[in-house]
Order: sequence, then C-alpha cells, then structure tokens
Amino acid sequence: MEAASIAHAHGHEEHHGPPPAHKSSRVEPQLLGMLLFIISEVMIFGAFFTAYFFIRVAQGDPWPATGTKLPVDVAGVNTAILVSSSFTIHWAQTSIKNGNRFGLKAGMLTTFLLGATFLFVQINEYANIGFAPQDGAQETIFYSLTGLHGAHVFIGLCLLLFVTVRAFRGHYSPEEHRGVEVPGIYWHFVDVMWLVVYSTVYIL
Amino acid sequence: MAARIRQPGFYRAGVWMVGAVAFSFFLTWVVRTSTGHSTFRHFISGDAILTVALIAVPLAFLIGIGGFDYWFYWAAGRPTRPEDHSGHGAYTWKDYFRINTDHKVIGIQYTVNSFIFLLVGGLLAMLMRAQLAQPGSHFVDANTFNGLFSVHASILIFLFIIPVFAGLGNFVIPLMIGAPDMAFPRLNALSFWLLPVAGLMMLGSFFAPGGSFADGWTAYAPLSTNAPIGQTFFSVAVQFAGASSVMTALNFLVTIITMRAPGMSFFRMPLLVWANFATSLLVVIATPFIAASQFFVLLDRALGFNFFNAGHGGDVLMYQHVFWFYSHPAVYIMMLPGFGIISEVIAVKARKPIFGYRMMAFSLLAIVGLGFTVWAHHMFTSGMANWIRIPMAITTSIIAVPTGIKIFSWLATLYRGVLHLDTPMLFTLGFLTTFTLGGISGVMLAMIPFDIHVSSSYFIVAHIHYVLFGGSLMTIFAGVYYWFPKMTGRMFDERLGKWHFWTTFVFLNLTFGPMHILGLQGMPRRVSTYASQFADMNLFISIASFGLGLSVLIFLYNIVTSWRGGPRATANPYRAMTLEWHVSSPPPVFNFDRVPTVVGGPYEYGVPGAQHGIFTPTPTPMGASAGVHATSGET
Repeated sequence: MEAASIAHAHGHEEHHGPPPAHKSSRVEPQLLGMLLFIISEVMIFGAFFTAYFFIRVAQGDPWPATGTKLPVDVAGVNTAILVSSSFTIHWAQTSIKNGNRFGLKAGMLTTFLLGATFLFVQINEYANIGFAPQDGAQETIFYSLTGLHGAHVFIGLCLLLFVTVRAFRGHYSPEEHRGVEVPGIYWHFVDVMWLVVYSTVYIL
Repeated sequence: MAARIRQPGFYRAGVWMVGAVAFSFFLTWVVRTSTGHSTFRHFISGDAILTVALIAVPLAFLIGIGGFDYWFYWAAGRPTRPEDHSGHGAYTWKDYFRINTDHKVIGIQYTVNSFIFLLVGGLLAMLMRAQLAQPGSHFVDANTFNGLFSVHASILIFLFIIPVFAGLGNFVIPLMIGAPDMAFPRLNALSFWLLPVAGLMMLGSFFAPGGSFADGWTAYAPLSTNAPIGQTFFSVAVQFAGASSVMTALNFLVTIITMRAPGMSFFRMPLLVWANFATSLLVVIATPFIAASQFFVLLDRALGFNFFNAGHGGDVLMYQHVFWFYSHPAVYIMMLPGFGIISEVIAVKARKPIFGYRMMAFSLLAIVGLGFTVWAHHMFTSGMANWIRIPMAITTSIIAVPTGIKIFSWLATLYRGVLHLDTPMLFTLGFLTTFTLGGISGVMLAMIPFDIHVSSSYFIVAHIHYVLFGGSLMTIFAGVYYWFPKMTGRMFDERLGKWHFWTTFVFLNLTFGPMHILGLQGMPRRVSTYASQFADMNLFISIASFGLGLSVLIFLYNIVTSWRGGPRATANPYRAMTLEWHVSSPPPVFNFDRVPTVVGGPYEYGVPGAQHGIFTPTPTPMGASAGVHATSGET
C-alpha cells in the first residue's frame, strides 16, 4: 500500500504546498460552484413541478382541491417581504464593496429578519390553512412545493446567519467579500424560485 | 481515549452514531406523542424510528469522521484556518481510512471501495444464477430472489459503475489538466465518505424486517410505497449516493473550467476530461430527479402523502416519468467516462492521433443534449399516452448516431495503426465488440412493436448486460489496468491480465448471449423460476456465469500481488503524451512542482516534433518531473 503513497515524500518534507494552480477562467471557483449547484436546485424544483403538472394538468384535477381555499393575499404580502430581502442583501453587498461596514451589518441583519419573517408566516399559514397533505393529491402537492421552498429558505437563512455573525465579528473587506457574495446568489435564487412557486401554486 | 473521541475519526463517529440512534427514538417519541399516539405501544413504532435513524445515523457518522469540521468552524464565525495541507497525501495505509483531501488518495479510496461493491454485487448475481440453474429450484424463495436482483442492480449501478468512474476521474483529471488538486478538496473528501454509507445501507436492507427492497432498482410506485421497511433503505441510500454524485460532478466541472494549465484550451483537453465534463453536466442536471422521486416515495411511506395514492388522486405514472428522466441520462453517466477511457487507451496503443478529435468531443455533448429527450422509451408498455411513444422512438434512434460517430472514430484510429495488444488494449477491443452488440440491440428496442414484444423478457436483461458489463465494465477494466502503474507505482502482470481478458470476454458472451434467444422465446425476466422448456439454456447460462465470476478472481489476484510486489513502474511506461505521464509513478504529493505549459494536442502520436505539455526551463530542485521530454518525436 505504501507504494501508492508518495515515493518522493522524503524530498518534500520542507515543501509548503503546491504551486498555485493556473487560473484558466475569470470566474471564481466558489461562484461557479454555486451557480452549478443552483442548476441542480432548479432541477429538483423541476421534479416537484412535474408532480404538480401531472396532478393539475395531465389528470385535470381541480385546483385548489374542492372545498379548500388558498390564502392568496397573505401569501402575496409574504412575497413582498421575501422580494424586499433580495434588495437588502444587495445593499449589504454594495456596502462592503465600498467599505461601509455599517451598511453590511444592517443589510445582513435586515435580510435575515425579513427571511425569518417569511418562514414564520409560512408556518403560520400551514397551521391555519385547514387541510393536511394526507387529505389528497392536491394538498400533497401544495405542501410539497411550498415545503420544498421553505426548506430552501431555511438553508438560506442558515447561510445568512453565518454571514451576519461573521459581519458583526469584523470579517469581510472591500477586497475580500466572496463570503457575502456567494450566499447572496443562493438567496436571490430562493427569492426567484418563490416567485415561480407563488405564481403557479397560488395565482394561476 | 478522550482525545480520540474529540479527534475526527472512527471513535468520534461511533459516539455520534450512538447519539443519532438516541435522537431517533427521542424525535419519534416527541412527534408521536404530540400527534396523539400517546400509548407506549404506539411509541414503539419500529418503522418510524428506523426511518429517522436511516437519515440521522449516516449524517452523524459523517460529522464524527470529520467530513464537516471545516464548515462548522466557518459557520461558527471563527477565523478561517489557512490550508496547511495536513489532510493531504497518504503515508501509511491508515491515511486511506480518514478524511483525506488529496485527490489521488480519494481516487484510490473511490476505486477500491467500488471494486469491493463489485464483488458483493457479483456474488449476489452468482446466488441468482444458482437459483435459476434449474426450473423451480429452491435455493432461495421468491421474495429473497426479488431482493437479490434488486440489490444486485442497485449496488452495481449506484455503488460500482457510477463511483468507479468518478474515482478514476478523481485520480486522473487534475493530473491531466495540470492542476495541483481538485477545486474543492474538502467537498471531494466528503463525497467519497457518502458512498460506503449508501452501500452498507443497501446491503443492510437484507436484515430489515420483511426483507430487503424487492421491486427492482427502479422501485416503481405503488409497489415501493406499499413495500416493507426495506424499501426505505433503498430510498435513503439513493439520496446519499446521489448527493455524492452531484458533489463530485460540481467539483469536476469547476476544476475543469477554472484550473487548466496555461495553453490547455478546451480543444487541447484529453478526451477523458471531455467525457467527464459531459458526464458531470448530466449528473448536475439529472440527479435531482431521482432524489425527488425518492423524496416522493419517502413522504408517501413515512408521512402518508398522496403522490402515488390513486385512491386520493395520486398519479403512479408520474413516478416513472420522474424516475426515468434521471435514469435514462444515468445510462450515459455510466457510459461516457468509459468512452473517454477508450479514447485514451486507443490513441496510445495504436500510436496514432485520435481520429476526429473535435467530433468526438461534440458527440459527447450531443449525447448530453439528446439524453434528456428519450426517457419514455422505458415506458412503452406502461400505459402512458400512446402518442408519446413516437417522438421517443425517433429520438432514441437518433441518439445512436453520436455513439456511432464515436465507434467509427475509434475504428478509424485503429486503421493502419501499430497496435500494442497488451491488457488495456485487449479490453478496449473487447469493449468495441460487445458494446456495439449491446448498442444494436438497443436500437432494436427503440422500435415500438419489438419493444412491446420483448419488454418483460430476458432480451432486456441481455441488452442491459451487454452495455453495462460488455460496455462499462470492460472500459473500467481497461482504465484500471491502464492507470494502475500511475496509481500504485507498480506494473501489473501482463500474462494474468491477458488470462483475465480472455476468460471475461468468452464467459461474458456465453452468459449474456443466450439470454437474447431466451428472451425472444418468451422467458420472462424478474422471476425466480420458469417453464421447463428453458431449462437447458438456463443451466448453460448459470455455468457460464460461474466462469465469469471466477474470471474476476484472476483480476483480484493480479491487482493484489502486483500492488504488493510488482516491478516498479517508470514515469511513462506507455510513451503517452498526456500530462499525467509527465510526473513520477505514483505522482508526488502536489502533482506538479511547476505548472506545465500545454503547447499542442494530447494525441499527436507519430507526428514528428509534436509535444503536448512542456515544463518551462526554470531550474527545479526536485526530480519529480522525470520523463518530461520523453514525448517528443516518437512514432
């Protein structure tokens, strides 16, 4: 087995790491990784929308299920809350690029609170909506799509929380702000995906 | 001892796993009491606890072994630690059993792990053939038989073919593009440790109450939503294996896009890199669909959702659409990296530039695109709307064209080449033969009436094994032999390798060839017994399959003895041009002491004065770049 390890190890004890890799693209690896991951995320929403399509369009079942009602207005207000959080995180990003630490901290905190409010309203909606996923296929699809999105909001909130904590601890600078940038892209994705979910599930 | 429990490793993993089991009991208790199951008898719901534990225990294992340590550190808001390369390289065998961020170590971890699961999956196949040797034989009962073929397929697809290609890619790709490592080494380490978890979970389903999952690797609803708890093992294991696939694919894509050596444009990349690029695109786009299909099954099973409950308006056909929208691209995920391996081996061993390099690359991308348009050809007999069959039959026929371009280009590369018929090349030629046969039966199956006729018969079994055994596995053997000197620093035994090839090739055709005839005669697949008129041929197949099983032992013996005591390999035993052969065998811990510069195509064999990679002539204290200039001007 030692044959598979490093034959030249003895000569390399003092070697402090590899030469830096050649950068063959202007795109940051972290940024590119996040964008590709978002492709995966879009596809998983795509699979859930396939389920929605089969129940609502292919089978032609009534939407929402007969005897149930979706709180379009409350969810609309909630949509506004989530969309505005996209602007506040943009504010935070612009601030740190210009070296404005207060703007970074205030922007991140506002974004986090807006996102948390969205999630709270969503959970409240589940509690008061009057049907359960066990009732039928339409209810299942409703809970699955909004729940899948809610799970993504939760993941996004975790990322935002980490960034906010780090912002308050004095991390990030005008030169090095990838740590705000990359979670920000994810948060924008979560927002845009909600617009798709809201318009298909609630409005259409 | 206390230090051992705090350090990342198996001790800490054990502690965390015990904690996860306790958590599963606790969560089940809390949820069930708060939803009205107040009595103790209801609390002891084995299925609920097991479902939670199947998700919690593997995560706890990964935390314990240290897969998330860096990110926890980051999440807690502490200063990020600069990379000290302490997780890099393997100096003793123990370094293969920890979180290791070296792509070469991870590549070997992946490959060895995958081959262990190949042996397990193969053993399950032997048990099936023992049962099928005679009609009505009672080696195992019908339900166990269903479990055997389900686990056989799942293990070999999710734990062997897909990850072994990722393993070979992991080892070779950074070397081929002149990079010191993958783009995200910690993600790479995590993606490996998800695999043993998924594999053990699938095998563990045999010990579940009610037996293992027994509805095939396709796990069609509503069979799967009503099956015993063993099915949950499959659904959760697929999530772990799928997450591993996606992580590796993201890593490959980012590495290939951002870390190529200077001068290596996309059209100077070796075709193996192209193949893994295309495969990774497929993985990133398609894998979420199988994740979703298993989420649906899990939600239906565990929480009583109604995705597939027809009584409440669910749609069972939707499962098949979502499943095959992943699983058809998945057959290309299982084949494209093999195409890359074949391109490497064929150019080196025929001493000729690859024929139609650009068309080889474009045909890979064509397969990626077309691969998403053919999924419903698996569902011709499913009862979906009849008209969908026609576009699917057309696209299925069309997708044979890019594959045909590749076969043609390989043959044209061979034409008037100076063939070196050693073991990797024999497997390559064997692949060309058997894979073409499997591809032809695939085009036959694209014809709707023929497919309806043979859909539930052994003809399908023959086709899938000609493309996956005669296709993927042959390329895997070719690749493992080809890069064995680079991975281990030792040469394999050529004579045993030839024995391995010929036994594999002969018994492969003797095993799976007659299945075509059986299928056309009407023998149904997925059954543990059959009518007596098929007895003679089944006995013949069983005997041949045991020979096929034994042939793998030759491979094992060869690999183990060569790894322990084979002759030392030189840096470039095949006089190949691609960059991985420009470093010592095995490569030094950081691959390249200086980043090489690429000045030409990767396959200019026999072109006078052609070079692929050079090292700029600044002096180096290390001797790691032996064989740098060995590539120039050879024929």
